[in-house]
Amino acid sequence: MTEGITRTSSRASARGGSRRKKKNQIPIALIIFVVIAGIGVWLGFKGENLLLYWVFGLAFGFILQRSRFCFTASMRDPYLTNSTSVTRAVLIAFAITSIGFTAIKYGYFANGLAIPGQSYIAAISIATCVGALMFGIGMVIAGGCASGTLMRIGEGFWMQVIALFFFVVGSLWGAHDFGWWKRTFILGGAKVFMPDYLGWFGGLLANLLIIAVIYVIAHKWENRGSNELSH
Amino acid sequence: MKAFFEKIKKNEFYKMWFKDALPYITGAVLLSVFQIATFASTGNPCGVSGVFANWGAWLFELFGGSVDKWYYFSSPGAQATLNAGVLNHPGTWRNLGIIAGALFAAMMASGFKIKKIKSWKQVAAASLGGLLMGYGARIAAGCNIGALFSGIASLSLSGWVFAAFMFVGAVIGSKLLVKYFM
Amino acid sequence: MSKEVVLDCLGEACPIPLVKSEKALEKMEVGDILIVQIDHSCAMKNVPEWARKQGHEVELEEIDDGEWECIIEKMK
Repeated sequence: MTEGITRTSSRASARGGSRRKKKNQIPIALIIFVVIAGIGVWLGFKGENLLLYWVFGLAFGFILQRSRFCFTASMRDPYLTNSTSVTRAVLIAFAITSIGFTAIKYGYFANGLAIPGQSYIAAISIATCVGALMFGIGMVIAGGCASGTLMRIGEGFWMQVIALFFFVVGSLWGAHDFGWWKRTFILGGAKVFMPDYLGWFGGLLANLLIIAVIYVIAHKWENRGSNELSH
Repeated sequence: MKAFFEKIKKNEFYKMWFKDALPYITGAVLLSVFQIATFASTGNPCGVSGVFANWGAWLFELFGGSVDKWYYFSSPGAQATLNAGVLNHPGTWRNLGIIAGALFAAMMASGFKIKKIKSWKQVAAASLGGLLMGYGARIAAGCNIGALFSGIASLSLSGWVFAAFMFVGAVIGSKLLVKYFM
Repeated sequence: MSKEVVLDCLGEACPIPLVKSEKALEKMEVGDILIVQIDHSCAMKNVPEWARKQGHEVELEEIDDGEWECIIEKMK
């Protein structure tokens, strides 16, 4: 550590004057916890399903905030800063979840039951491409994706409240036009569930292989960036 | 009492679980565990933005509009969800849970702060970005969670197509952001 | 004589703090110090991470609830 850094760290905050005494927010956190638990009990009486979703939401919010996990950064940072650490973390999440999901789906299939969650196998069409493109532009400009916007509202970002409001308005607009998109493009699109073409093992392996290839590219991309800048 | 909370702040397990940012990889593993648990227990992967369309419909109805004739809400299932009301909508509670969970996490780390809007550029960016995300998610059958994360995890090729175009969008978005919104 | 530059990124969401820091550092001399004021929990993680990767000396200070100062000494 250089002398310069030692000097700066002993200096008072950049806004000048003596350092403000930090407040301790843990007591407020405990009050919030009690309110959260109270809502949980109420939802439990209303319907077990509602309680389950509430708990999953809390867990997602807590994890997203604690790890600063950000889908927007995973797509934006490789271009903007050459950093792919978030991208690679997202890929790891894809790999783990696809193994778990496939196991569950296969379990239903092997027992002769209808495979759950197949409504998430969306038809591939121009609508997918245009929609994903719009979504990609939007999330970078608004500073957060769908889950990120919610998480940042919890952190006290007023800007994200505006983003959420317009997200809702945009969703309504999209829902209004959905019939046209469906008739014009989506109905002609193909739903591709990879195990239908490659078998259960083949489908999962193909998915993991795509993830692995992107992981390697991401790793090389990041190091290419730092080499270029360090000469 | 105050001394007690100050003592908690110095506790090593407090720092580990509530204060210091977790590595991205830890976040990835934990999210995956809960995403798999969601699928196993509810029969459906996580989705976030579909709920926003319902919120929009309820808001629209509040102001006297009606979405009954819209193709998107025409199925008996969608109608039943709308008629049951917002408080009985599981997805709504999951989304509110994300906000509450993040609020708790931020407070517990003593890191909560109200961040006021700084400029009109921010308002413009948030509005335009929100609109694009909302419309895009509806026509692409989901957002980064429903179409991307859940799609890829469900071994759907659509998830990868979504990822590719979302990436192109993110690059365009970055250029626009640097040029016009900062 | 090294100078200190304070960059106010309070209320700014990702990636603006990082892009602004990058631009500010470009204009500075080796040995100068950039102090980035941040109140976004994600930027508090990615700005120091990025600056360290660029080879600068970095220190992060929590100055208030949900407010940080990322102190970057330009090394090259």
